[in-house]
Amino acid sequence: MIWLTWRQHRKQALFTAIGLAVLAALIIPTGLAMRGTFDRLGLTDCVAKLGTAQLSQTPIGAGTCDAAFREFNGQYRVFGMIGVLFLFLPLVVGLFWGAPLVAREIEQGTHRLVWTQGISRRHWALVKFGMVGAATLVASALYGFGVSWWMTPLSQAGQLTRFDVFYFDMQGLAPIGYTLFAVALGVFAGTVWPKVLPAMAATLAGFVGVRVALTTLARPNYLPAETLTYPVQGAIVQPNTALGDWVLSHGVRDAAGKLVAANAEIMCPPNATGPGASCGADMGVGAGSYNWQLFQPGSRFWAFQGIETGIFLVLVVLLAYFAVRRIRRIS
Amino acid sequence: MDMVLETDQLGKRYGGNWALRDCSLHLPAGRVAALVGPNGAGKSTLLHLAVGLLRPDAGTVRIFGESPYANTSILADIGFVAQDTPVYRDFSATELVTMGGKLNERWDATLARTRLAQLGIPPDKPVGRLSGGQRAQVALALALAKRPRLLLLDEPVASLDPLARREFLQSLMGSVAEAGTTVLLSSHLLADLERVCDHVIVLSTARARLSGSVDEIVDGHRQLVGPRHGGEPIRGVAEIVRASHTDRQSTLLVRTNGSINDPAWTVHEVTLEDLILAYLADGDTNTNHEAWGVPA
Amino acid sequence: MIEFVLDGRSKVNTYMQLVQQVKQALRVGLLAPGDRLPKVRDVAQSLAINPNTVLKAYRELEIEGLAEGRPGVGTFVTRTLAGASLPNQSELRADLVAWLHRAQAAGLTHEDVTALVETTMRATLPAESPQPKTT
Repeated sequence: MIWLTWRQHRKQALFTAIGLAVLAALIIPTGLAMRGTFDRLGLTDCVAKLGTAQLSQTPIGAGTCDAAFREFNGQYRVFGMIGVLFLFLPLVVGLFWGAPLVAREIEQGTHRLVWTQGISRRHWALVKFGMVGAATLVASALYGFGVSWWMTPLSQAGQLTRFDVFYFDMQGLAPIGYTLFAVALGVFAGTVWPKVLPAMAATLAGFVGVRVALTTLARPNYLPAETLTYPVQGAIVQPNTALGDWVLSHGVRDAAGKLVAANAEIMCPPNATGPGASCGADMGVGAGSYNWQLFQPGSRFWAFQGIETGIFLVLVVLLAYFAVRRIRRIS
Repeated sequence: MDMVLETDQLGKRYGGNWALRDCSLHLPAGRVAALVGPNGAGKSTLLHLAVGLLRPDAGTVRIFGESPYANTSILADIGFVAQDTPVYRDFSATELVTMGGKLNERWDATLARTRLAQLGIPPDKPVGRLSGGQRAQVALALALAKRPRLLLLDEPVASLDPLARREFLQSLMGSVAEAGTTVLLSSHLLADLERVCDHVIVLSTARARLSGSVDEIVDGHRQLVGPRHGGEPIRGVAEIVRASHTDRQSTLLVRTNGSINDPAWTVHEVTLEDLILAYLADGDTNTNHEAWGVPA
Repeated sequence: MIEFVLDGRSKVNTYMQLVQQVKQALRVGLLAPGDRLPKVRDVAQSLAINPNTVLKAYRELEIEGLAEGRPGVGTFVTRTLAGASLPNQSELRADLVAWLHRAQAAGLTHEDVTALVETTMRATLPAESPQPKTT
């Protein structure tokens, strides 16, 4: 059975290996170059200077560090965009590894050949799922931690926050959960729609649906969010970008706590008067107003990665269980 | 007599439709049985139940006395070739033989290789690029390499041209003569199988119409021609299978339970083919009338 | 060794066709006592027929005392049907050829000849042993 699984999937394994090699060829040189620039510009010290305080007193807007950060981010701006492409890799694996696993057998009728040899269908399913799952695990772990390594300088430089949607999704543990989920969903879809193309379509729709739903509805609430307030006017402070917090929403609230300007941040120097009367009065910001943000602290990154991955692994187990059950009923 | 396959009130339903219903039959060891019926009569369903791919919704099916569903020990004794002889098309014949060795405890790779060599099947070409006849031969060789006691073949010759059909049946009969395997093979045409089978099971509209050895079936039926028949019993007739009438004359195909000596009737022997057609036509008419909601 | 052929359009049973072919071969001297009949497997394979049909034909020949099965070896001819008439056959055949030439000269077609021979045979020769059952 191991021989058969290998023989049937060796092409996919080869393509996956080529894919990983291409990925490595892409991220290793650029990752090393980024690190080189990062060190050359002395950004390691700058990051250390930002410290771990929630509000940084030395904002990026001043000093040599600012220039260095700006240079770095300018040089590698496009990389953050390229990185988003990696987001689709788990889905691709799910479509091409998962969906055909059962669907192609049934579409071509070969399930009647292989399920009438001397081994049980459960045995067949477990070996197949096990081997494909293990290969997926290895590939996605390489991918997840490779991209993590690659993105570290980008997130440290504040160009992107690793906790943000998209960037969170393509590094660390999460891609392992997603990829295994995509494969399991593909396998299960193949037991329900026993043709390759419908199974792929169902996998696509299901994967995107579950991912969007979990990301927008569930993830912000894995742990209670924290709030941070800081004055509109006075000493110039701003949230510390080096912490990599995930800002869920922010705005300006008045003295009564009512949100007067959503998605806005106002910072005025002490005793400044703007073009109107006082700082931001035209926007309805009066005395006692303060900047407010609701956020998940960056220190929770790995906790969130663990929770997210855990949820998807539970889904994987459920899908695999139902897939085996359905396989026993297919003729 | 040893029974290889026995079914009792066997039924299988897809949604609200019975694909097979109230099917009770048995197949003694050593027979080559033809499973005949039009497309959609339930032939594949019966074979899938027998090989354990399907679980019955009603009644029982037993192979060598055991239920075949999810029963891998029974699978070892059954060689199965599904409809359209599915094989992994990107595998070569050699690889398929290797695969069989990995998936079966009892596996005669030498037998398979010898057969394929005799048939001139190229060993290293992907089987997807072989002709339909060659692919069917590969599938048969794989089934025989299990050294099965029962061979189930679903429409093995339907998609083959006449030459490939003959070659397939030749190699099948050769190996049956060698190993004494019991065979159940389905076809929607009896003509394909008339010479190879000595046992017949006729399915029509999900029900078994007729089952038994060819000799007994042929001996047990007669065609009667006589005056118009109004339904009164005739001595020696157990059942009227099919009747056609003119205003003066009736032609009856009957199952007998004794000799018919009534001088009013001229008695003719019937061929197996006529008999099967009579049973199939009978089933069709009944369902048609049912479907149209008019009395038969 | 003889080779069997089947007449697909014949209404005669497959096993009976085999029996008749053996008898025919015995009559014309193609088979003689001691000859082995083709193996069941070979007949089944080459004609694509059920091996049980071949076995049944051989059993019929055994019952009629024309052949005998030796377990593990095969089935052998034990008796001939050519009998004493065999040496006379060539002479009779020559007469027949001469007669056919005369018939041809008289303007008889093939069908005419066949019909004449059949009706004459029926009228002249008493019915032989009853024909074997054909079902």
